[in-house]
Amino acid sequence: MRNIRLIARLDIKGPNLIKGIHLEGLRIIGSPNEHALRYYNEGIDEIIYMDSVASLYGRNSLDDIVKSAAKDIFVPMTVGGGIRSLDDVSNTLRCGADKVAVNSEAVKNPELIRDIATRFGSQCMVLSVEAKNISPDHWEVYIDNGRERTHLDVIEWVQRAEDLGAGEILLTSIDQEGTRRGFDIPLVEAVTKIVSVPVIASGGMGSSSDLAKVVIEGKADAVAMADILHYERETVNNLRKYALSEGIEVRDI
Amino acid sequence: MNKLDVVVIDYGIGNLLSVQRGLEYCGADVTVTDDKDIIMNATRVVLPGVGAFSDGMKGLNKTGLNHVVCDYAASGKPLLGICLGMQMLLNESEEFGFNQGLGLIPGKVTAIPSLNIENKNHKIPHIGWNSLKLPEGREQWDGTLLNNVIPGESVYFVHSFMAEVSSSEHQIANCLYGGIKISAVIGSGNIIGCQFHPEKSGDVGLKILKHFINL
Amino acid sequence: MTSKKAFFGLPSEVLYCKKCVISNQRPSSTVEFSHKKNEKKLTINFQSDGVCDACNYHETKEKEINWSQREEQLLEVLNKYRRNDGGYDVIVPGSGGKDSAYTSHVLKYKYGMNPLTVTWAPHKYTNIGWQNFESWLHKGGLDNILFTPNGLLHRYLTKQAFVNLLHPFQPFIVGQRIIGPMMAAKFGVKLVMYGENQAEYGNNPKENFKPTMDTKFFSVSDPKDMIIGGRSVGGIIEEGNFNLNDFTPYIPPTVDFLEDKGVEVHYLGFYHKWDPQECYYYASEHTGFKANTERTEGTYSKYSSIDDCIDMFHYYTTLIKFGIGRATYDAAQEIRNGKITREEGVLLVSKFDQEFPNKYFKEFLEYVSLSESEFHETIDKFRSPHLWTKVNGEWKLRNLVSNN
Repeated sequence: MRNIRLIARLDIKGPNLIKGIHLEGLRIIGSPNEHALRYYNEGIDEIIYMDSVASLYGRNSLDDIVKSAAKDIFVPMTVGGGIRSLDDVSNTLRCGADKVAVNSEAVKNPELIRDIATRFGSQCMVLSVEAKNISPDHWEVYIDNGRERTHLDVIEWVQRAEDLGAGEILLTSIDQEGTRRGFDIPLVEAVTKIVSVPVIASGGMGSSSDLAKVVIEGKADAVAMADILHYERETVNNLRKYALSEGIEVRDI
Repeated sequence: MNKLDVVVIDYGIGNLLSVQRGLEYCGADVTVTDDKDIIMNATRVVLPGVGAFSDGMKGLNKTGLNHVVCDYAASGKPLLGICLGMQMLLNESEEFGFNQGLGLIPGKVTAIPSLNIENKNHKIPHIGWNSLKLPEGREQWDGTLLNNVIPGESVYFVHSFMAEVSSSEHQIANCLYGGIKISAVIGSGNIIGCQFHPEKSGDVGLKILKHFINL
Repeated sequence: MTSKKAFFGLPSEVLYCKKCVISNQRPSSTVEFSHKKNEKKLTINFQSDGVCDACNYHETKEKEINWSQREEQLLEVLNKYRRNDGGYDVIVPGSGGKDSAYTSHVLKYKYGMNPLTVTWAPHKYTNIGWQNFESWLHKGGLDNILFTPNGLLHRYLTKQAFVNLLHPFQPFIVGQRIIGPMMAAKFGVKLVMYGENQAEYGNNPKENFKPTMDTKFFSVSDPKDMIIGGRSVGGIIEEGNFNLNDFTPYIPPTVDFLEDKGVEVHYLGFYHKWDPQECYYYASEHTGFKANTERTEGTYSKYSSIDDCIDMFHYYTTLIKFGIGRATYDAAQEIRNGKITREEGVLLVSKFDQEFPNKYFKEFLEYVSLSESEFHETIDKFRSPHLWTKVNGEWKLRNLVSNN
């Protein structure tokens, strides 16, 4: 009854597109916007840019990349990493972003979620969650690009964030991220069951069948892909065709 | 004056750069401004917007741009409201309490129902690509904003509230979300609104913008 | 300005490399059997342009070394020793961390060798360390001998090393270096292959151009003259709690013995362009290696040296003695390998380098039988005045990389 979105996730460090395993060991892949443009031309539904060193530098440094992308890329862009204040959000949106993804600062100061939603609208406020499995059916929230524990329970946290006005959840599994072994289906399922805002599943996509699994079993509303696109193991076209063949509603181009 | 010039209103809210870039990509000469005279003299105007209705109206009201927009609309020259910009064209909205709009197209803004047509919960906001459909009573889109669009082509929506026009003749296009009809394009003469973001809708969006700048 | 006294004969002026974040206080590898308390430490060399030898060697690695030629040399060595009769033909020492996982797996599955991995047990395996150890063998498909030295003596030596040298890892390093050649001799294997050569990180660069380990690491005439933990073995025996037999694991094979058995110790890092992060990737993909779930204290990394609870104290003591901690080592290596910029390295060092390793502090104190106050008394003795000063009752480093 609604279209599942196919999203390209680009993790950025400085001027480079990077990729890691378990958010660790970051390899340089190439130019962010070269890749983004290719995905756009292939019909990607959305693009997410995450600044992976923002917490270290104390700021988001993607302005130039986003501004440049906005010249040729006309699908929604979400920008995250180091978003700490309403000014940061305003600045990021003015560069051409449509949504901001917030993690670390939202954990430290949850009221920021409410402030952003009130000022800019819930649809602009994506809660980014880095989840690590700690026991069956329990996941812990991590911040600072998977480096610091918070002892917060993911399920409790997403509920709270939704109440505060988060419009979307970008849910990343630290355990599966970069492994190509599929999404953390129990994690995605647990979150989609409990929130009424769209959930973007991220972390672990190995092949097209993982897409079907996370949508059909996990009930994800959107799928974020990184490794599979950056290493050119699959094209957006093939993934779209595959989804349609599995009976998954996606934008028909 | 350049034949393809567009003025985009800056009232402190909205993703101005994307709208500007989209229009420029289509060949327009874009001026982003809050200057009353420039707006009044424009060949065509875009009212963008992202976020809460109340904040949007506050932004317009405190700068006096609400009057400017209405005056401009009265001139008969093309005015395109995008997303929140479209919603503000109507009389009122129930977002965060009761708020008054510009009243340029009769109707109101209400929340998208959280239950779909099967009475099951569906996700709010409505985020994602959705296909444009002809509403009942309309056979084609010739002469409208969607002149070059084929029914079924998809565009990108992101919103929690929707426009309900009072008169069906102002309903130009819909989409279905959870089986529920949602206004996609509305229009009354020179005043047009699109709920989706043409500047974020890839090729389909760009051809819509291209058509607008040729109006 | 009066210059402050520098302990261990360290350079009195602290300099930081212009390219990476290492300082000129970084010690070179020591011949551990004779490592005495007050000896002058050899440190990493800086060229006149302010760039350290490790960075310079890295340039050489990138630009001058013919790696296909090195690969050919490797094949020559391996072809010479490869066996097809079911016997082991190479010993790979390691713990199942990314480096030994890479080395052992590549030797077996790419080059068709028959490795026996040997592990000198960590003082105390962490959970992730043990998991990776098992995964290495079960998923990676390798044979292993895990050698655990007599805990009573090992703990005693570790404590001595900590108290006398502020180098708790010294006995471990001694054992780790011996186990490879020792097992080789016992199994009739002639080839021992370690991963990377410490020379890459700033030892004498000449050592980088030899594929083999210097035999000086093995020459010891009379075991009783060996110095471990800053004490002579003979002296420890005289105390009456241990006898010479207890020291078996620490007595290195003689150079003659090794030559007689034809044992050669090589570094794979001589033949392969070594990149620790690529080892992480390889190990992740082939031996199920997992990075730690949390950041290691004292650094930002999660995949380097994560198997021993006592490990953090090795790095913490280098912070005390030389002013550089774990983040510095990790960042320096990643800068050279082009993973991070110097600017980012400096920020990471500033953020993490001086973090106290709380997580296993109690375990460490228990291991070395010291109280918290004894611990602090001990480390304070090793704070060289040219590096440390007290400000408002707190110890501060005089010269940080972020000030340079």
